[in-house]
Amino acid sequence: MSGMSDSGAGGRAGAELMAEQFHLKVLHAVLAVRAPRPLAAAQAAAASASFRRRDRWFHLPLHDPPPPPEAELLEAPPPGEPLVVDIHLAPAGSGGAGGEVVERWTVACEPWPDAAASAAGEGMAVNRAYKRCITLLRSVYSTLRLLPAYRVFRLLCANQSYNYEMGYRVGSFAVPFSRAEEAAMRSHRFLPVETQPGRLVVSVQYLSSLTAFNLEISSLSPSMLITNYVGSPAAEPMRAFPASLTEATGSAFPQSYQQQRPHSWAPPALWPQPPMQQMRFSPPPLHYASPTPSPPTFSGGYLRSPLRGESAPVTIPGERRSPVHRQNMLDPIKGLMLPPPSPRRGEKGAAGSQESPSEISRSFGRAEGLRMVDPYGSSSPGSKVKDSKDESGRFSALSSCDSPRQDDLDDADYPFAVDDVDPPFSRPGSSDGKEAGDQAGSSSHKSQDAAVGSLVHLLRTARPLRDSSYSSQTAGVESSEVASASSVMSRRTSDALEELQSFKAIRERLLSGSRAKERESPEKP
Amino acid sequence: MNCETCHLNELELEPREIKDVLRCILHTIFFHRTLTLVRPKDVDCERFQITYVQCGLPDLEKEVDEKINQFIAWAEKHPNRRSQVCLSFFDEKNKHPGWFSNKTERIYWEQWFINLHVISPKGHGKQHSSKAQTNITGEASEQASSRHDALGSLIQEVLFQIINYANEKKDHIPPISDRIFNHEISIPR
Repeated sequence: MSGMSDSGAGGRAGAELMAEQFHLKVLHAVLAVRAPRPLAAAQAAAASASFRRRDRWFHLPLHDPPPPPEAELLEAPPPGEPLVVDIHLAPAGSGGAGGEVVERWTVACEPWPDAAASAAGEGMAVNRAYKRCITLLRSVYSTLRLLPAYRVFRLLCANQSYNYEMGYRVGSFAVPFSRAEEAAMRSHRFLPVETQPGRLVVSVQYLSSLTAFNLEISSLSPSMLITNYVGSPAAEPMRAFPASLTEATGSAFPQSYQQQRPHSWAPPALWPQPPMQQMRFSPPPLHYASPTPSPPTFSGGYLRSPLRGESAPVTIPGERRSPVHRQNMLDPIKGLMLPPPSPRRGEKGAAGSQESPSEISRSFGRAEGLRMVDPYGSSSPGSKVKDSKDESGRFSALSSCDSPRQDDLDDADYPFAVDDVDPPFSRPGSSDGKEAGDQAGSSSHKSQDAAVGSLVHLLRTARPLRDSSYSSQTAGVESSEVASASSVMSRRTSDALEELQSFKAIRERLLSGSRAKERESPEKP
Repeated sequence: MNCETCHLNELELEPREIKDVLRCILHTIFFHRTLTLVRPKDVDCERFQITYVQCGLPDLEKEVDEKINQFIAWAEKHPNRRSQVCLSFFDEKNKHPGWFSNKTERIYWEQWFINLHVISPKGHGKQHSSKAQTNITGEASEQASSRHDALGSLIQEVLFQIINYANEKKDHIPPISDRIFNHEISIPR
């Protein structure tokens, strides 16, 4: 490249090739830092790899970060046509709809206006033009990292759960901005480089402030879902909540998150212009899904870019144990033996069954705040910031949204369905009704709720009137069914009578127990 | 050959900020004036939340850091003074070409003047009243924060100044060689 011939047709061809490669280099440089994607793996691979020959154009290999893979498929525009790259921010999951262009890069080889200029251009040494292109590309490269969109790019690379997505459109034509949009955009045109085919011009229009885009992390990524939350079937239901977690939710956001507020970062007047506004980040509310991207193709018109946002939507459970479950415990008609709500984070002595939204948002905000790594938070001189925190589920801040009912049903097998209750009766339908009665008698000291609970449990565990085990024995044999039908009926009836008697005994015990309690209560202070 | 000069906007900074500021500026200049094959490396300046680009040349990084440390040492001995750090690019030519002459002369073709005003951080005063001390500390931290924010903006302005100048003045740059241009970083004595 540095040895391109300047003479004659070779010079012209070299200049045209240089112009084509210049377009591609600018395109790749822009996409490398404007197409958010997980960068760690790509950077590691690119850093160790040697430069390909084509990467050495203009002595500026793009390896840190490298352009997205789909950029390799893009071709330079036909000679004489400009290359327009629009960078836009759109709500996550919208597929680009409703997006707003935050940056527009335009690369063009402007033909010489007249014959005289063209003749002058023909004499332009390719090597000299190439050297100037190198400097111009250095400037483009640096500028890309100083504009506001770069910050958003870094954030989206680190965490793809934001409520906005950054995408790009590549084409040779761009929809002109409206007057209002034009007024809001700053613009700069780099000093052109004169070449034989024409003048290579790079210009950029950009929004000086992105505060209007209220970037927020919408929700936890799937990797942060915790399945062994307290109260889940996988965990001990009655395990005490760690004190460290309850103490740590003092502030809404950690210091690292506070430091991420770019109030000191406001991009200055790039070229003499009024002061710019600052970007603002705030706590995350929701998460938006986004489609799987598809590689773009260049066809001369607008090209849709992949809008990345690869994490699936996760709804944050608003509550785990609602009061209706406690109600079910009291209502035997519901037929469910439900355990009391497990101790929740943030509860302080209250038997609350519901985590307040503020608790949820605070713990979530804390988790996300620590996950939302400051792009500048871990850099050291000479090293590139690499954010790996989004890859690990670091906090057990929230649980999944399993159905509470299922949990409760599972917990019903545990021997502490209600407070102060003895282990459930093993076989209330057993032939020894006296055992049931004795156990019921021992419950005279329990609360009425506990007693009712045990009764409900008995009802649940009692043999059904229509025992399927008996029917299975006679299945497929009609004659034997008929023959044993009467014996089955009589057996079921006897079981039912036994159970009824045992229930009566229990009832008597309960009533006597409650009377005794009533007598005792006036004596208490 | 004329020597192009560029005087960058003056920056007022504290001693603890010198390293970050000078790294940003010097490396940005080198990145624009190192036309050989580089391995660009993005560096995040945490203090000012700026990302600048280095050439990825370890020797150059070492040289820059050494000069910055020398300047810091000088600034400690000369507090609250305006100073300049000058980055110069030059060609070396034999002064008297001949068989037995080794004398070379430097022909500077570009100089960048980085204007700095290193100020001592404001002390917390000699107040004995705890309440007054708290008030002064609160005000001082607010002032320090706003000063820090302003400095970050000014640094970015300086970086854009470098970008503009580097593109406007290109004709005087010597032909590309296989190594970075001869240069020197001058600090006050």
